[in-house]
Amino acid sequence: MWEQLPYIAKLEKAGIPTVLIDFEDQFNMVKQTALRSGIPSVRYVHASRTLPGPEDVDTWMDKIIDALTVPLTEKEKESGTWVPASNDRIIFEGTMDEAEEFFHQTEYIPHPVNAPIAKFTDGLPVRIPTEERVAEMLKGTSHKPDELITFQSERRRWDGKKYAKGNPVLMHPMNWTTTVERVAACAVMAGCKPEYLPAVLAIAESGCYIASTHTFGQWLCVSGPYAKEIGMSSGCGMLGPGNVANSTIGRTYEIMARNLGGAIPGVNRMTSLGSPFEGSRCCAENADGLPPGWKGLNEESDYKKDESIIMVVPHVNDGIRGVQFSPGGYRAFQKSGHGGIARKLGVKGKPGPHNWLEYLIPEFWAGREGAKTIIMNPEMARHLYDYGFKSKEEVYEWLWKKSYLPLKDYRNFSWPDLATNGWLGIEPTSGKHWKELPEDYMVPVAEDPYAFCIVVGGGDEEVSHQISSHRHLGMDPFYSIDAWR
Amino acid sequence: MAEKVRCVNPTGISKVIETFPLATRLDTVKGKNICMSICGEPDITIALEKKLKSDYTNVNWNVKKTYGLFPLPLTDEEFKTTDAVIQGVLW
Repeated sequence: MWEQLPYIAKLEKAGIPTVLIDFEDQFNMVKQTALRSGIPSVRYVHASRTLPGPEDVDTWMDKIIDALTVPLTEKEKESGTWVPASNDRIIFEGTMDEAEEFFHQTEYIPHPVNAPIAKFTDGLPVRIPTEERVAEMLKGTSHKPDELITFQSERRRWDGKKYAKGNPVLMHPMNWTTTVERVAACAVMAGCKPEYLPAVLAIAESGCYIASTHTFGQWLCVSGPYAKEIGMSSGCGMLGPGNVANSTIGRTYEIMARNLGGAIPGVNRMTSLGSPFEGSRCCAENADGLPPGWKGLNEESDYKKDESIIMVVPHVNDGIRGVQFSPGGYRAFQKSGHGGIARKLGVKGKPGPHNWLEYLIPEFWAGREGAKTIIMNPEMARHLYDYGFKSKEEVYEWLWKKSYLPLKDYRNFSWPDLATNGWLGIEPTSGKHWKELPEDYMVPVAEDPYAFCIVVGGGDEEVSHQISSHRHLGMDPFYSIDAWR
Repeated sequence: MAEKVRCVNPTGISKVIETFPLATRLDTVKGKNICMSICGEPDITIALEKKLKSDYTNVNWNVKKTYGLFPLPLTDEEFKTTDAVIQGVLW
């Protein structure tokens, strides 16, 4: 309800009484967002997650009417000023042992968590951000410690609004602001080296968006010469453990979301199962592994080849999905036309290069519409090139054409098409209302060709992953690292 | 005696917030223009709409639906004439 409370606040301030219906387990999120919107006493009725609809409505129908008609209490009539507890630059003074204890505090979060959650960390031990360590970290940037984190270029935020360069970044979900020094403190906590700070500042510029209700993750990918400068891995296991830059830069996302954005599981972050990819991993694009003519992520996002950027890669609902074939099966298919993939694609006995994406197409849209971000190793990218795709754009066009489904099948997705307001809006290719279209009308399941994204990296084993695309989620994911050097 | 350290605050800067009273409530819903604003999937809102319209026939109901995250706002004209809003969220 991050998006609904500001609207409710506008109505209440204008003299229009309101009542909000939401679930009981979202109580804390409602109260936080209501306060942030200036109406801490918002009237709120709990719906059930499990009762059948008519029975559920019967249990609280009277409360809805009461919320609109029962006179205000004295508390609800109050206006005033809410002042935060402390924004002091120094949060703790004491011995190192005491500091260790302070930064590793936990707080018990009741239902829907029912367990302690770390107050300042991602749950793992952190380096204590002493003034000396933070000062050392700040050597990694030319920006001043007390400088507010602001947009370094015009941005479209997740709320759909455009923000001009220089606007303060509001960290998600509490819309707090922050400074270069506070980001550096988070970088110290995550174990970063000073030379990683420009990347961490670029991540902070993203606002460290977290999700509310569904499984949502954010991983990070660096494109450009900076990756090699700081020793990042774009090779085998690039999203796994081991490389210090990859691991610690990735870790800052979660530490910043917790500290700079106020994100707390079960309070204002309701990803029911959570995800190991909720802001925990960073990798680098393998620019050397791109086939001839294929652009890197930096050039694809209107930066130059020698400019460095970080992509905040969001994905939702379908998590991160691996290929449905073994590397050996893939090689059998490409090298000699053997195995199930070759049979499925009708190339039995014919050596490649073959378009392996064809094998995955049915799975891409088995459960949900939307373009995909595909991570593939250099060899598989080269196969696509040798097959005939001389640019990423040609792959994107092909994928988009393959995404067409008859409307009768498209209707079977559970998730509504947010880009066109589900079945209530206008189908974009026809310009007609969804309800006016015949069942055999062919609908592109992906938004447009350029909503797809290809990331090349990883080791030599022939694997790929596919996740939902940033465009599908309305995200603007590319942030300049150079701007924060 | 152990050496003391000073630690830099890693948390975000929260601003001072002006808070406002809620709007004065209605004396009755009878004869009033009430908007039912729905976001997201219709898991309870189908039943809610049916129930409201059948139990409160003397209310002028205005239903605004979207699958999106942002409520469909009242038009300028509706803003002038709407007496109350029920916001169904369920996201």
